[in-house]
Amino acid sequence: MPARTPLSFKAPLVAVVDDDEAVREALSELLLVLGLACQTFDRVDAFMAEYVPDRFDCLITDVSMPGRSGLELQERLRELGSPMPVIIITADTSPSTRGRALSAGAFACLTKPVNDDVLFHHLQSALNRAGSSCEDERQDTPSDE
Amino acid sequence: MSNLFQRAAPGDHGSPHVTELADLASESVIVSDEQGVIRYWNAASEVLYGWPAMAMLGRRVQTIGSLAHIGTDHFDALLREGRWEGVVRRRGLTGTDIVAAVRQIVRRDATGAFLDIVEFGQNAGSLSQAAYLRMDAELQSSLAASWELDTSPARPLLDAIAEHRRGGNTIDLHRHPDWVDGLLTATRILAVNNRAVRMFGAHAGYEQMIGQPIAAFWPAESRSLLAAMLESVASDRTRLETRKMVLSGALRNPVVKAWHSAEPSPPDTVFVTINGATSDERTTWELQASEDRYRRLIQYLPTALWQVDSRRAGEAFDELKANGVRDIAGHLARNPDLVEHAKDVVRVTDVNRDAVSLFRGSNAADLIKPVRYIFAAAPGLAERVMVAHFEGRRNLIEETRIRAFDGSIIDVLFTVTYPVPPEHLDNTFITMQDISERLNAEQQLRKLQSDFSHAGRIATLGELATSIAHEINQPLAAIVTNGETSLRWLARADQNTEKVAQLTSRIVSNARRASDIIHRIRGMAAKHEPEKRLIDLNEVAEEALLFIRHDIDSKSIVLSANFGADLPRVLGDRIQLQQVIINLLVNSVQAIAQSGGPTRRIDIETSIDGNGAVALSVIDDGPGIPTADLARVFDSFFSTKDAGLGIGLTICQSIITAHGGRIAGTNRPSGGAHFHFTVPVPGMTGADTGSARS
Repeated sequence: MPARTPLSFKAPLVAVVDDDEAVREALSELLLVLGLACQTFDRVDAFMAEYVPDRFDCLITDVSMPGRSGLELQERLRELGSPMPVIIITADTSPSTRGRALSAGAFACLTKPVNDDVLFHHLQSALNRAGSSCEDERQDTPSDE
Repeated sequence: MSNLFQRAAPGDHGSPHVTELADLASESVIVSDEQGVIRYWNAASEVLYGWPAMAMLGRRVQTIGSLAHIGTDHFDALLREGRWEGVVRRRGLTGTDIVAAVRQIVRRDATGAFLDIVEFGQNAGSLSQAAYLRMDAELQSSLAASWELDTSPARPLLDAIAEHRRGGNTIDLHRHPDWVDGLLTATRILAVNNRAVRMFGAHAGYEQMIGQPIAAFWPAESRSLLAAMLESVASDRTRLETRKMVLSGALRNPVVKAWHSAEPSPPDTVFVTINGATSDERTTWELQASEDRYRRLIQYLPTALWQVDSRRAGEAFDELKANGVRDIAGHLARNPDLVEHAKDVVRVTDVNRDAVSLFRGSNAADLIKPVRYIFAAAPGLAERVMVAHFEGRRNLIEETRIRAFDGSIIDVLFTVTYPVPPEHLDNTFITMQDISERLNAEQQLRKLQSDFSHAGRIATLGELATSIAHEINQPLAAIVTNGETSLRWLARADQNTEKVAQLTSRIVSNARRASDIIHRIRGMAAKHEPEKRLIDLNEVAEEALLFIRHDIDSKSIVLSANFGADLPRVLGDRIQLQQVIINLLVNSVQAIAQSGGPTRRIDIETSIDGNGAVALSVIDDGPGIPTADLARVFDSFFSTKDAGLGIGLTICQSIITAHGGRIAGTNRPSGGAHFHFTVPVPGMTGADTGSARS
């Protein structure tokens, strides 16, 4: 899915990394209705290939994927000194996974299926912290492609 | 006539010494021992042959045998047969030939031990050489099977038929099978001679024939003939009925005679004789000779054995072949009455102890009758037996069922061995082996095995719970998010129905995907009777990956699948084969995870092996199988894994074996393990099938 053209007021751009196509599609549709631009990736390496500092305002990633995992991605970003907030969403409810994610500095660790309000709330906080503004839902409709 | 019959009197031969009564007999009486040495020579013998007793005692009777006599020496036959009747030519004292009609009888004591040979003789008159030879041959070959029958129980029916006749009706018993049955069932056997026992008793033995209805022994094809004759002589006590008879095999042109006993007591006694030249080149003596040995042998064979006289079937088949019938199965299908008829005319002639007990009979006589009862619980078996016979096959082997006389149904392995020329065609053997216990055990084993593999599946599913949860969570997550997104669209002032429709259809397809996954997991978790179908092993392997893919991903293992193109389908149980593949993959994943090596890779491949079987390999670069464990890696409860499934590989082996394939595990030269199994393709030659039965 191509990245959305940033709007003039610089709509926040969210990166979504998940190996499951249905999940990627669903998340990008949700972000669209929330007024956020997003770009999706099906694996960690694909994201890293496009990663440049400050390109994305927030990262939403699954943990277990073919190839490198979401936790490995998180650790790699830390090594690179990226300040980008990372929201982990996973079906894995084990405390060890959650603990590892949070101790590695994840902004939030949410369990799939994730509730839209909860995700929106965390996105807003993350984007505010990152200095971006997240528009209210009742603002202009983002243009549909 | 009475000499023909051995009455069912106690066989008391008394003392071996012939009483002085024999001295007074007008008939020649000669007693000799087993070597034929004369021990007694009565006065009538002196008169007949001219030789005084003093001259003959201690000599063999053959020493006065006529040099002109070209007949065969029947002495050995006499010893075997126990009786001999015929004409002998002996040299008299004066050198003239004396022709005598003699009856020789071997006497035995109660235990069957030899006592002596008694010969009764009379002058047969001055016969010409030719006439004598003719008479001798006639006596030798003419087999009179004689019966003494009591028709008194049939009297009411005979009277009824006579009444019917007096009413001016002609009686054709062929049209009244119920009357025929009634007459023959009511008429009882009082006495029979040896030949009747041999020809019709079907080895039931003399004692088992006395007192029985004639219906039990009279050949099926001439029952109405006998009934008509009985009715005829009953209505006119002076009549001698003589008819030609149809009798398969034993005699040429047999003639049956029936007449009413002239003696007033017992009333209603009818004599029946059957005469004809024997058409069997075996003499009855030879038959008798091997019979005792043979009967002892089959009596104690540790399998239920039937001897069946299938000549009738053989003759019928020859006739059909002569008429150009080639497709016997089709012919029988079009004429089912042929099979039914055969069940009534083909008779059991002997059975052994095991056969009696298998059928829960009380004695052999219960089983010595037409073969119909053998097929009572085996639909179609009689046809198949006939088809195999017609086609000249040597054997027929089938698993089938019988109905014992107490009504119980028993699983048996049924074999027929057909006679093949030049063997005598009257001996078809049927054996039966009770296999109900074996089948029961097999069923138990199958159940155990399926319980076993079910337990294994449950354990594997438990191990893969996280992986499976993830697999199911993806579509659910998509559904929830799509639903919530739709609601957000609907809550807005500018409703975007197109978007909502798109999201809704995604909800539907994801829900389908979720339910499909649940369905497969349920299949894995369910207990089921293994059922073999034609399946594509590639599809089975791909489905198996669904269960474990996430597990592989989460452990950062690279999985590479290389499925061979155009694999033939195999006959197998989808769930069980999937279980094997999952088990092998789980083992590889765990081995890699435990070793913590730098490269983490599993290859799954399918192909056709050199024997044409479909093969699947799971290759990993884990630590491999410790050399010490290579030999016992498929043993029960052997596990190299800390928390491993000790029975996993054992289950795999039992499943693959049940599919007729093989499974093996080896170490790769470069490190890591290589597990490999094959499943034969149906119909492939040299398939290593477990138990192929034709």
